Amino acid sequence: MATTVLNSHPKPRAPASPTDVLPTDTAQLYTHIHPILVVSLYALQFPSIVADPVPALATALVPLAILQIVYVAICLPPTGGTATPVVDKKKPGSGVQEKGKKGRVKGTIIVRQIPVFLSLIIASTITAPLLAAILILFGAPLTTHHLHTLLAAAHISFLSTLPLVYVHGVDGAAWRDIIALLRPVDEVYGAMIGGVVGAWLGAVPIPLDWDREWQKWPVTIVTGAYVGWAVGKMLGGLLKGRKIGFE
Amino acid sequence: MDNGEPASYYEGIAASFSKVKAEKKQQEPQGLKPTTNDAAAAKKQSEIHFKAAHGLLVTFLSLILVLQLLGIYLFTSGFLLTRFTFDYKSECAVPPVDTSARAYTAGTSKRGCWHPKTFDKAIVILIDALRYDFTVPLSSEGANEKPHYFHNAFPVLYETAFEQPRNAFLLPFIADAPTATMQRLKGLTTGTLPAFVDAGSNFAGTAIEEDNLISQLKNASKRIVHLGDDTWHALFPGHFDPELTRPYDSFNVWDLHTVDNGVTDHIFPLMDAFNTSKWDMMIGHYLGVDHAGHRYGPDHPAMTAKLKQMDDVIRRMIEQLDDSTLLVVMGDHGMDAKGDHGGESDDEIQAALWMYSKQERFGRSSPSFNMPPATAKDRSVAQIDLVPTLSLLLGIPIPFNNLGKPIEEAFIGTQGVDYENLATVNRLTSAQIHRYQQEYASVQSMDEAARAASLTSFKLANEAWDSKGTKAKSEEYAQMYGMYQTYQQETLDICKAMWASFDVPRMLHGVEILAFSLIMLAVYARGLKGDLSELSPVLLSRGGVGTLFGALLGFGVSSAVPDVAKEHAIIYAAAVFGNLGIASALWYVRRRLVSVFPNSIWGYLSVIFTLLLSVGFAANSFTIWEDEILLHFLSTFGFLAVLSSLRQPKTTDRVLGVYHSLLFIILTRLASLSRLCREEQMPLCKSTYYASATSSTSATWQLAIPFIVALLLPTFIRGYYEGTLSYQNSAVVWLSFGLRFGLLLSAAYWALDAADDGDWYPGVGGMLKTSKTIIAQLTLAIAVSAGYPTFTWAKPLLNIEEGKSHTPHPSKQIVPSGNRSSIAILGYSNVHGSRYALLITVWYLAAALLQKPMGAGTLALCCWQIFSLLEIIATNHLSHSSIGPVVLGLLGSFHFFKTGHQAALSSIQWESAFIPLHTIRYPWSPLLIVMNTFGAQILCAVAVPALVLWKQPPRKAGLLGDVARATATHVLFYATVNLATTMWAGHLRRHLMLYRIFSPRFMMGALVLVIVDVVAIFVAVGGTRMSFLSVGEVFGVA
Repeated sequence: MATTVLNSHPKPRAPASPTDVLPTDTAQLYTHIHPILVVSLYALQFPSIVADPVPALATALVPLAILQIVYVAICLPPTGGTATPVVDKKKPGSGVQEKGKKGRVKGTIIVRQIPVFLSLIIASTITAPLLAAILILFGAPLTTHHLHTLLAAAHISFLSTLPLVYVHGVDGAAWRDIIALLRPVDEVYGAMIGGVVGAWLGAVPIPLDWDREWQKWPVTIVTGAYVGWAVGKMLGGLLKGRKIGFE
Repeated sequence: MDNGEPASYYEGIAASFSKVKAEKKQQEPQGLKPTTNDAAAAKKQSEIHFKAAHGLLVTFLSLILVLQLLGIYLFTSGFLLTRFTFDYKSECAVPPVDTSARAYTAGTSKRGCWHPKTFDKAIVILIDALRYDFTVPLSSEGANEKPHYFHNAFPVLYETAFEQPRNAFLLPFIADAPTATMQRLKGLTTGTLPAFVDAGSNFAGTAIEEDNLISQLKNASKRIVHLGDDTWHALFPGHFDPELTRPYDSFNVWDLHTVDNGVTDHIFPLMDAFNTSKWDMMIGHYLGVDHAGHRYGPDHPAMTAKLKQMDDVIRRMIEQLDDSTLLVVMGDHGMDAKGDHGGESDDEIQAALWMYSKQERFGRSSPSFNMPPATAKDRSVAQIDLVPTLSLLLGIPIPFNNLGKPIEEAFIGTQGVDYENLATVNRLTSAQIHRYQQEYASVQSMDEAARAASLTSFKLANEAWDSKGTKAKSEEYAQMYGMYQTYQQETLDICKAMWASFDVPRMLHGVEILAFSLIMLAVYARGLKGDLSELSPVLLSRGGVGTLFGALLGFGVSSAVPDVAKEHAIIYAAAVFGNLGIASALWYVRRRLVSVFPNSIWGYLSVIFTLLLSVGFAANSFTIWEDEILLHFLSTFGFLAVLSSLRQPKTTDRVLGVYHSLLFIILTRLASLSRLCREEQMPLCKSTYYASATSSTSATWQLAIPFIVALLLPTFIRGYYEGTLSYQNSAVVWLSFGLRFGLLLSAAYWALDAADDGDWYPGVGGMLKTSKTIIAQLTLAIAVSAGYPTFTWAKPLLNIEEGKSHTPHPSKQIVPSGNRSSIAILGYSNVHGSRYALLITVWYLAAALLQKPMGAGTLALCCWQIFSLLEIIATNHLSHSSIGPVVLGLLGSFHFFKTGHQAALSSIQWESAFIPLHTIRYPWSPLLIVMNTFGAQILCAVAVPALVLWKQPPRKAGLLGDVARATATHVLFYATVNLATTMWAGHLRRHLMLYRIFSPRFMMGALVLVIVDVVAIFVAVGGTRMSFLSVGEVFGVA
């Protein structure tokens, strides 16, 4: 990750703009229904995940992947030629954008199949193992529970990075900005940050001596990621266009 | 610096200043050393100025340390109740009073040591958590209360006591908190009260060293059989008959039956007439009732079943019992409504005691007492009363430390009128208590007034006894009995006040002082702009004057008002007014005040880390898993550092920042593999610090770790120096030879130590012992007598390259000289940081020797991480942020765990005192243990100034102020943790886990704060004096 990012020399680029949800009615509606669907589906499977995490988490990946694909296909502009934002008329430097007035009806279903496929492959083969490694660095068991950790990472990856890959593709510079929190906030980016923060917070109840079944690895992490993802998606939509400052 | 990097305000000034300076230098012949008299004088003056500012800063930081110490002392003196234990044993032949006047010759355990014995043998059945109301019928007052599952299931005790009052009695049996089995067993066998710290010869182990019933029995050659809960074996190792004894694991509270069935299966065969000659005392410890309580709570059918089972067992025992054996059934504590225990609520302390004998031995002082008390409020006896009662009944001496009194029912005779016997046994007991108290008064000061009153009572009782001789009437004996009881009660009250009651006002005042000085420290560290070192004079003078004034005021008030304790008043007033003085100084410089609240993501992160950790210490789980939480936090910092590094506009910053951040994360995780689990982490934790979970020696492969460290660590550190071309002069000598040689010696020490321990070369053991100690001393000598002088007198790590063209490097300062050639100063950009950081390596060498091989490895990782952190802070321009000092605090705390320690007394590696010494030598031995225990925190505290010095321009203004800010922030982290652990320990002083979790963590927090304070002020800030002056030699003192 580091090397590809580092080799990209930062040259003056057009300032990144937040991702808009497609202006179609279906997209505008479904983007709000989507998190409810995802979280309810997770809640429904929660007991079986608690009972036996590995098979249940593996099973739960399928509906999650389908829902996320449906979401990106309906609501989001795919990467590629269409990723360059259409010049919009907003004044430079203004904070929150006016809602989707831009005609960006691009890409038929067929055209979108490629980024959908791409994002699914990258989310499952690249970011999921990477996230699993990060989980281990944060203290996940090193020698045991590998499948648990990998599945947790896969869930976080499908939630957080799949839509991002769909929108931004594999553009190194864009991903450097994404990792460095340099992009303006939007609902896709906010969902990613929320998912990661949620997973981080999910570690809090693990050590408590409540002797609950759901405290087992990695239930709390995955739950935190789902909740954080939904909250982050909503906040990202509300605070669209804001930048994250470190100083 | 001068290469077009966007400089901050301060840097800008400093940079332009150094440019002017450089231009000036150009005119000087050597280019570096000022030669004109003016310049020399100016330099001299600025040097004096620096020394004064430095001295004042150290003094002011010491004042804060003093204020914190006062707070810690005040809290501790109210909280850490200490009881001294003696090794004295009561002897059979030496009764505390003359018994011959009563025609009884003491000294034979056959007839009874101090008093004729009543029973030859005893069976003591301890039913864990047998609450008193489990054994009595539902009381008539609570008639409208519906019977619970725990009612009326265990009637045998009540029935026998009621129907055969001369054979049995049943009484409420009141426990002293904490109501945990181990502490209770101590009370039940020694007759003493539990205190916070039992300070005696054996500090770390669990075995009881005080005089007690079990060792007295063993001393009298009685054979003791133990069945059930294995806690007894931790307390009395080697006291029980090895063939007949059957210990069972007591930890699995989910298992209601294994222990109980085991006890029952073994106890009845031993009660058989064929076997009764094989033992004199049998202890059966049942755990089922306790486990049923923990698992289901008392009001559950499982409890009924369990109590019914106990009822059946006791009935069978009564049937099988022979005539000369005493049967005792008791609970060690009760349980609360949820079935848990540990605190001192009524339900938890009210247990039951029942004694039974086939022959008529017992009586009541009034016929109405034939019925056992309906509730535990009436006619209760204390659990410590069991000790003199059993001792006298079985004819052994009363244990030396006993404070209990003989139980009336057991000595009053079947008719209930034998006051002579009662007075006799109480006189014996009182005399033994008196003997004990005389000894005790010589080691700890007692409440004088109360002690005088109790001594008078004792004297009066003895006078009454002596005047009546042997011909007293029953009423007169009853009176003497009462007088002796008064003495016993008064003594007990004195001891309770001394050992068992917290001094809450002292604790509160201690917390207030700690909180107040924490706020002052926070404002000083984060709420002032500009150069902090300028403020030392006003802060110090006002703070100092305030402290002195407060001390005088406290002295005056406590002298004028007699009720006020002198020491308490002086300390409290001194600390409060000292803080007020500092507050007034801060008000005086109020135009420099800025908000203490964070204004960047890093500021928030520092606050969040510190607060989350501190709040977490209120929960025992978060305290137990502190090591994992620190790992989580450190990784979080590392990842945010990756993000932040990627945001840097300069490519070199980005590359270095990302590289070192990733390195930091990976090293953290690598270090986390070294674990020493505390008991409470089981079974979710696997110890790797030693060869196995049950050993405290290193595995053979671990001996390679120090050698690998010796080979690699100096090379890695050299890499950090080479990055800024600072690997020059003394750094070459020290890092490549001194440090490496020292580390090799320390590796050799551990190899020899293993050879010695494992007896690999039989016959040369003595030689190994001598040579390993010499090697250890040599290693410390290298650190102290080579490392420290190197650090103190080394020239700055600079070199000069002359020539016409210089390959550009950010760390070269190119100064044109003459017409065409120029001079390049190598190592210019990091002259402060590289010079100071030598100190970290010196301390690493000393600390590494004192760690076990695994610890030397993790501490090396810690050292490596420190250098990575320095790079992260420098590349992300965070030298003014609070995050650096806070992360060093987290890192130090993290490596505390990774060097094989836990916040528990049992994890102290006492043997580390003997690494360079053969015997205990003060003050070295305690210092060595401190270096072993807190080596990681010490190393990180030493590194704090490096955070603000690494890669800073030589003449940057206000560097000393930056050092002060960073140091104060670092101390602030530990002070917050200390305040939190102090408050939680004080607040949770009745918590079940106080002794095991909260108070050890509190003690650790306070100790770490003091140690870090001392190291940060005198070693770290003190060390900057040497490095600043050394740099000042060349560039002038800023």
